[in-house]
Amino acid sequence: MRPGRWRRAGRWLVGRLLGAVFVLWAVATLIFFAIRLVPGDPAEAILGGPGSQASAEALDSVRRQYGLDQPFFVQYLAQLGRLATGDLGTSYSLRTDVGRLLLDQLPGTIGLALLALVVAWSIAIVTAWWATLGGRIASAVSSGLEVVASAVPHFWLASLLILVFSTRLGLLPPVSTGTPAGLVLPVVTLAIPVAGFLGQVTRDSLLDAAATPFALSARARGEGPSGLFVRHLLRHAALPGLALSGWAFGSLLSGAVVVESVFARPGLGRTLLGAVTLRDIPLVTGVALVSALAYVVVVALGDLAERAVDPRGRAA
Amino acid sequence: MRSRLPVLIAATAVASLVLAGCTSGGDPDTSSTPVAGGTLTYASGDAEPTCLDPHVGGNYPQALVSTQYLESLVSKDANGDIVPWLADSWQEGSDGLSWTFTLKDGVSFTDGTPFDATAVAANVAHLQDPATLSSTGYLALGKVTGVEAVDARTARFDLSEPDSALLESLSQPWLAMESPEALTRSQEVNCESPVGTGPFAVESWTKQQQVVLTRNDDYSSPPADAGHQGPAHLDEIVWRFIPDSASRYAALQAGQVDVIDNAQPDTLVAAAKDDSLDEIDAPRPGASNRIELNAGKAPFDDASVREAFIRGVDVDSGIDSLFFGTAKRSYSPLSSVEPLAFSDESLFDVDTDAANDLLDEAGWSTRDADGYRTKDGVRLAATFPVSTNQSIPAEQSLFEQVQAGAKDLGFDVTLEPLDLSSWYGALAANEYDLVSAPYTKVGPDVLRILYDSDGITPAPSGYFANLSQTSDPALDDLLTRASRTSDADERADLYQQAQQTILEGWHVLPLYDQQNHYLVRSAVQGVRALPTVQAPTMYDAYKTS
Repeated sequence: MRPGRWRRAGRWLVGRLLGAVFVLWAVATLIFFAIRLVPGDPAEAILGGPGSQASAEALDSVRRQYGLDQPFFVQYLAQLGRLATGDLGTSYSLRTDVGRLLLDQLPGTIGLALLALVVAWSIAIVTAWWATLGGRIASAVSSGLEVVASAVPHFWLASLLILVFSTRLGLLPPVSTGTPAGLVLPVVTLAIPVAGFLGQVTRDSLLDAAATPFALSARARGEGPSGLFVRHLLRHAALPGLALSGWAFGSLLSGAVVVESVFARPGLGRTLLGAVTLRDIPLVTGVALVSALAYVVVVALGDLAERAVDPRGRAA
Repeated sequence: MRSRLPVLIAATAVASLVLAGCTSGGDPDTSSTPVAGGTLTYASGDAEPTCLDPHVGGNYPQALVSTQYLESLVSKDANGDIVPWLADSWQEGSDGLSWTFTLKDGVSFTDGTPFDATAVAANVAHLQDPATLSSTGYLALGKVTGVEAVDARTARFDLSEPDSALLESLSQPWLAMESPEALTRSQEVNCESPVGTGPFAVESWTKQQQVVLTRNDDYSSPPADAGHQGPAHLDEIVWRFIPDSASRYAALQAGQVDVIDNAQPDTLVAAAKDDSLDEIDAPRPGASNRIELNAGKAPFDDASVREAFIRGVDVDSGIDSLFFGTAKRSYSPLSSVEPLAFSDESLFDVDTDAANDLLDEAGWSTRDADGYRTKDGVRLAATFPVSTNQSIPAEQSLFEQVQAGAKDLGFDVTLEPLDLSSWYGALAANEYDLVSAPYTKVGPDVLRILYDSDGITPAPSGYFANLSQTSDPALDDLLTRASRTSDADERADLYQQAQQTILEGWHVLPLYDQQNHYLVRSAVQGVRALPTVQAPTMYDAYKTS
């Protein structure tokens, strides 16, 4: 049976890789064409933003320098060629290497998103546990909280948290300082909506699992409520949530655009916001590609985690 | 040669008045002596500059930060008079085709390079070099053909035609002096660490986070209206970027930052009740914020329709309620900080009956099923693209009220909220009837940029500044003569006539000055807005606790 398993794992890996390459190509292509649909001239963006009163000479020299005088399709192929060799180009607005820029910004955002994912899972599991064991009222209350949490917009939540914990109580700094205390509000802001969503999904399957014969027989064997929850129900109920973790991570990355701006944290989200405003094509493309790559990796990891938790996935 | 002493005395008197005025929010502790040392944290709500050298491009975010480390040849005091800075005195040639500047002695850039006439020539050459990619500075030097270093302390600007705006242009931070030695480095390096003569020097720039500026201990060249002489009081400035208005204010309240810019109307109202915060109200120079009516196409090519719109739509109550009284209504094409601004309030009395009569007479006398006026089956419609990057939320709400007011008159105004690129795209395509576009520049020459018919011809980038598409040969003549005269009284008179022509031609609906409010913790004293473009300067600033 062993060679078959290896072959299946290899096939899975190749499929994932091909999928990733396709996703990256699609993102690069989509961005290339979409950003050119926006009216305005990239040469102008390079010369200090739209509406710049740049001279004809300056515009011409920029067009030559950045290859913007080439036909559209030639520019596209040149762009793909560069990307294929790992060269993300030079940012129009910041005039530095996009690769280097993103390497500087990536750890902050990925760290923020992963931390938020951990916090979100913790909140989701605690509320789900409470809902399962705490009876009808706990179930109703937690379900209400989850619906509210998953619907709150980040910018509103961020302002509310700043108002309460910084302005009123003076407990936490309103903008990031690079200290752990400065990380609390951004992480919580990002985590709460995702926690609400994960909680809803997990609780539903927990309640389903609690009603299954295997839960009954475990209880008959003398398993206590907590043991039943941790050893039997959670493993079963976490599956839909795990499958959604990739999606959750993606939504955390997009939430980072808002959160990083509100809390004045450096990172990919804030870079993207600035780059889009300034029509910085290489930088927008770079951020999109890196985010897509991170997403592909996390979805693959989620897939692996699902296989680890659920033996049925390995057999299939 | 211009006499210096009276200017200096006047400037000092004005400076003390300004400093007293700055702290209107709290109780100014005028007796406190400046404390040396300390770090001041500034939080900017403007975009992070893409290059710290304001020669490159040339926008307001660059002006804000570069005012701390770069200096110009001349400055402007609170009266609007040009005062000495890196130049001690100046003299216009009798034919108006040259200006000779005598430079301050003993000034060096922070890299040790001496500031002399050769440095001035190198800076002008840098601004005029297409490779620098300067737009604001380049435009301001349009009539300058070159700079001749007559001797170490004498620089002569040669012009293609007389330029009454030259001193005002040179006072702008986008034309500040940088070390010619440093300018020979690559643009990428110079953008990260430009070198000037200012009271602070750029220490480091962590992108998306902060610029750290440290005191220049050898500093000796404050502008004539500064509050003290010698090096700055503060050791260091940490210049942060906090784009979100509410977080910026929360950080100020929490004491995480000492000064914020771009304080919004609601914040200003809250801050006025807070004894630990002071406000500096520093409207930007140049044009007032105004709605311009596109006279280049129907329906506003008809002066009666323009008049009906301007006299029929009430903006006062909207400005009052949406800005909570923090913005004063303007009746001028120019900012109130411009000494030559001309206002005519009487033109803007709201009279809806007269407006309706004007529209009836202009042929827009029938109404369609939705209540909008029509003429020959065409609805009286106006497209209003709004830049969501440039118009603050209160202003966007004001435009919604304008839309509602215009509907009562029978105008179908369509508001189009657009990002900056799309907004410029709509303007370049002439797809607008109403527009509001800020324009910051020192001096009334901004009128020539905005209302001379030359400004209707698009630049190579598609950009054109005359958005009202005002085309009036008499106005062009006034503006040209004003830009060439060296007689101050004649200049004032010509600019007044020009502004009257613009207002009476119903080309613009002035709203208020371009808003620019700073909030400062009361524990910080001596912060003021430099009257050139009203960027803050931390030179006189110190922390009392």
